[in-house]
Amino acid sequence: MEDPIAYNYHSVRAGKARLAVHLQGMPVQLLVVTAWMLVVLGALLVVSGMALGWLVGSLGVLPWMFAQWYRGELRHLPTGKGSSVDDLMSGDVLGQLPAKPTPQDVAKAVGNVTSGQFMGVRFGLTPTLLGHLASSDPNDMPALWREAEAVRDQAGVPHYSGSVLAAALVRTTPGYKQLIAQIHLDDGDMIEGVRWQQHVRDIITNFSKPRRTGGIARDWSFGYIPLLSRFGQNISQQIQGGDILAVDVASHIEAVAQLTQTFANNGRQNAALVGPSGAGKTTIIHAFAQQLLDADAKLPDSLKFRQVFILDSSALIASAPGRGELEELIMRVLGEAYHAKNIIVCLDNAQLFFEEGIGSVNLTNVIQPIIEAGNLRMILSMDEQRYLEIADKNPSLVNSLNRISVAPATQAETMLVMQEKLLRVEPQQNALYTYQALKEAYRLSERYMHDIAQPGRSIKLLESAANYSENRLVTMNSVQLAIEKTMDVKVSVASEGADREKLLNLEKTIHERMINQKRAVQVVSDALRRARTGVRNENRPIGTFLFLGPTGVGKTELAKALADVYFGGEGKMIRLDLNEFVRPDDVARLIADGARNAGSLTAQVMKQPFSVVLLDEIEKAAPEVLSTLLQMLDEGILRDEKNREVSFRDAIIVATSNAGADRIREYIERGYDVGQFEAQITDELISSGQFRPEFLNRFDEIVVFTPLTKEDLLKVVDIMIAGVNKTLAPQHIAVEVEPEAKQVLVDKGYDPRLGARPMRRIVQKAVENTIAKAMLAGILDNGGKLVLKKIHINLALGIADDASDESE
Amino acid sequence: MAIVGILLWWYTDGWKQTLRSSGARLRSLLDYFSIDILLRTLFSPFRQIAASGVDGPIGLKLRAFGDRLVSRLVGAVVRTIVMLVGITTILLMFVWSVISAVLWGILPLLPIIGLILMLIGWIPWKIL
Repeated sequence: MEDPIAYNYHSVRAGKARLAVHLQGMPVQLLVVTAWMLVVLGALLVVSGMALGWLVGSLGVLPWMFAQWYRGELRHLPTGKGSSVDDLMSGDVLGQLPAKPTPQDVAKAVGNVTSGQFMGVRFGLTPTLLGHLASSDPNDMPALWREAEAVRDQAGVPHYSGSVLAAALVRTTPGYKQLIAQIHLDDGDMIEGVRWQQHVRDIITNFSKPRRTGGIARDWSFGYIPLLSRFGQNISQQIQGGDILAVDVASHIEAVAQLTQTFANNGRQNAALVGPSGAGKTTIIHAFAQQLLDADAKLPDSLKFRQVFILDSSALIASAPGRGELEELIMRVLGEAYHAKNIIVCLDNAQLFFEEGIGSVNLTNVIQPIIEAGNLRMILSMDEQRYLEIADKNPSLVNSLNRISVAPATQAETMLVMQEKLLRVEPQQNALYTYQALKEAYRLSERYMHDIAQPGRSIKLLESAANYSENRLVTMNSVQLAIEKTMDVKVSVASEGADREKLLNLEKTIHERMINQKRAVQVVSDALRRARTGVRNENRPIGTFLFLGPTGVGKTELAKALADVYFGGEGKMIRLDLNEFVRPDDVARLIADGARNAGSLTAQVMKQPFSVVLLDEIEKAAPEVLSTLLQMLDEGILRDEKNREVSFRDAIIVATSNAGADRIREYIERGYDVGQFEAQITDELISSGQFRPEFLNRFDEIVVFTPLTKEDLLKVVDIMIAGVNKTLAPQHIAVEVEPEAKQVLVDKGYDPRLGARPMRRIVQKAVENTIAKAMLAGILDNGGKLVLKKIHINLALGIADDASDESE
Repeated sequence: MAIVGILLWWYTDGWKQTLRSSGARLRSLLDYFSIDILLRTLFSPFRQIAASGVDGPIGLKLRAFGDRLVSRLVGAVVRTIVMLVGITTILLMFVWSVISAVLWGILPLLPIIGLILMLIGWIPWKIL
């Protein structure tokens, strides 16, 4: 048995490989030119009567033979019969290796061949990186060959291509797992890369093979179809145009086989492809049409060279506006298809032909008898919901259909479909996609795109990511940007300086508008930091908090501050007052379909998934409403009335409640610290029956807000005055309240039961009214400043005072 | 090494490749002229013109029968012509394939033949 890690520089195959490397490009073209020149020169000599011409002309054969040899064998050197390195290595790499190669020589050779460059572009394993990783010690070669053999074996490819060697070079680097983790790769990804490169090569090889399609007489015994050509799309003709189409997903192959079986049998000649949008129904129809045109495919004669037409419902409707005209037109179109004898009519989105609506019309009366008779071959495609609706309205129609289910693709299948799709997408978009972009497209589309199924949703995201490419290279970041822009979410890990600063100083920023409640601010800030550094559980909301405490202590304000600071504005807060959901049947309003009730919780989150969801006064909600919210708190998912999943996994859920407010106040008055009675408050809420334990347990944190003291209120007044100044800023007017005056405001506005809430009214009455009067009286003009003293506040609030200061 | 390599390939895989590509060209022609389909559908109505059955008075039926007959006749004529053209082309291609396969075998010998011709000083029109 041959030593699998032996490399023989002097083997015949290695010699041929080196010759091929020397001949490639210009030299081989020169050989052909020389051959022709010799032949022509020889002919001229013979014609001019010189017998030397025979030798000169015939010598032209030699360079021509060399060129033929290069094209026939050397260019794509077949794998050798043995199992040594030089037998199994692809010729383009082998030809570049010296007698005693080092890993660096291999890295250099890999960087010069297409399969190696594939790994550079798609995976970031560039020639420069490989050159840095590879050692210059020839003694490391046995380890590299062994690793190459392991990679080849795992990937199931026939030879050591540039991609195999690139992966092997990485895997022989100590601590390589950490290294490739930095470019978001793991071991399995590199093996996938090797398979991908081989798969692309196979597809191109198959595509370039001549195809037998039936020839000129193929359609002569079938009828003309002018009407059908006008109102339908000839899929077969499109495929014949030379589209690269590969169907390698197991479920799709099975569906194509089922279609063939259905139409080959003598039963009803129809098939209904039922599956979610994006699952690949149209691709299956295309693959089926392609198979029918393949003269080499094992098909019954009754199916060979049949053509698939997709009917265009909108064109049909537009051409027949009058009553009964459409029915007549569709009868003529279908009649034409039947008489042509080689047509399979496809109703893509078949529901458009079975229901009244914009762009759709109910043609059940016309189409159903044709389907039931089973003479005209038809393919219908629709999603499960539409199929059920048609089944509900018209059971006999559904009974006549041969159903073929199309399930959404798995992750592995989706990756494969994306890789194949890139062969068409990349030239269209003039861009190149990295493997990391494909993986990210799957992950993010799975998480954020719920309107269509896989692989459609990944492909959709991948296509939109091209708009965010970097130098026409679509990377993982491009995909993240695409989803961030289209879905208005933040998915990238915080890495930019400003972003990091903001997250590290979240508490400080929030406290600019929030007084006290340090613990509450701390826990929500921690949750946000976890989310933006990617250490949170992605199958739950960013954070779920229950804020307990008396009114006016800042529970809602903290939610608003969060929306403003983190999500980019208070408009990013979805607020629901649960005192409007006190009856059991209010659950329906909570999860209503967005088309019917745009204000339902599910509809709002579907539109704006990246937000703070504030559930105010949660203790007032009906138990049924709270039970509905359990899954949202636990898994970040709530199903709407149409059973669509709505994701709350990018939202912060904040529930507020006044329950236990009196007890909190009591504890504080008795001198307890929040930390000392927080757990007790929770226990009391459960034992008093206000909340069920399973509901409270769903929250990440239950935070008790403490009542505000007079000192706190002084700070609140400052924030409110700052707010007034901000409002007046466009008029260049400023207001200042002296400390004594502030104290009056606090004394008047302090109510331990209502917190900071009365302060708003007091500031409005004492400060805003005074400013308004001063402006009207002409005392305060643009550019002026008003200093409010105690006397002004007393006057405004109707408090007797002996001071007599004046305003400036 | 190169001379041995080229000759070895020339008379083994190279020759096989020439035969294979000749075969592929023939298959492509066979597919293009689709002789089998032409034969199977020789008397089928051309493009299904007037192919559907007619229900009605005997006169109408007779007329439809006549139309069908004409359609089939037209089809048969067109198909026969295409078959003849196709068969001729395929035969020519077959002959060329045989010639090129033989030429492939003697091509490496051409320099020797050329040398001999040069040495004997053979110029065709001078002999004539």
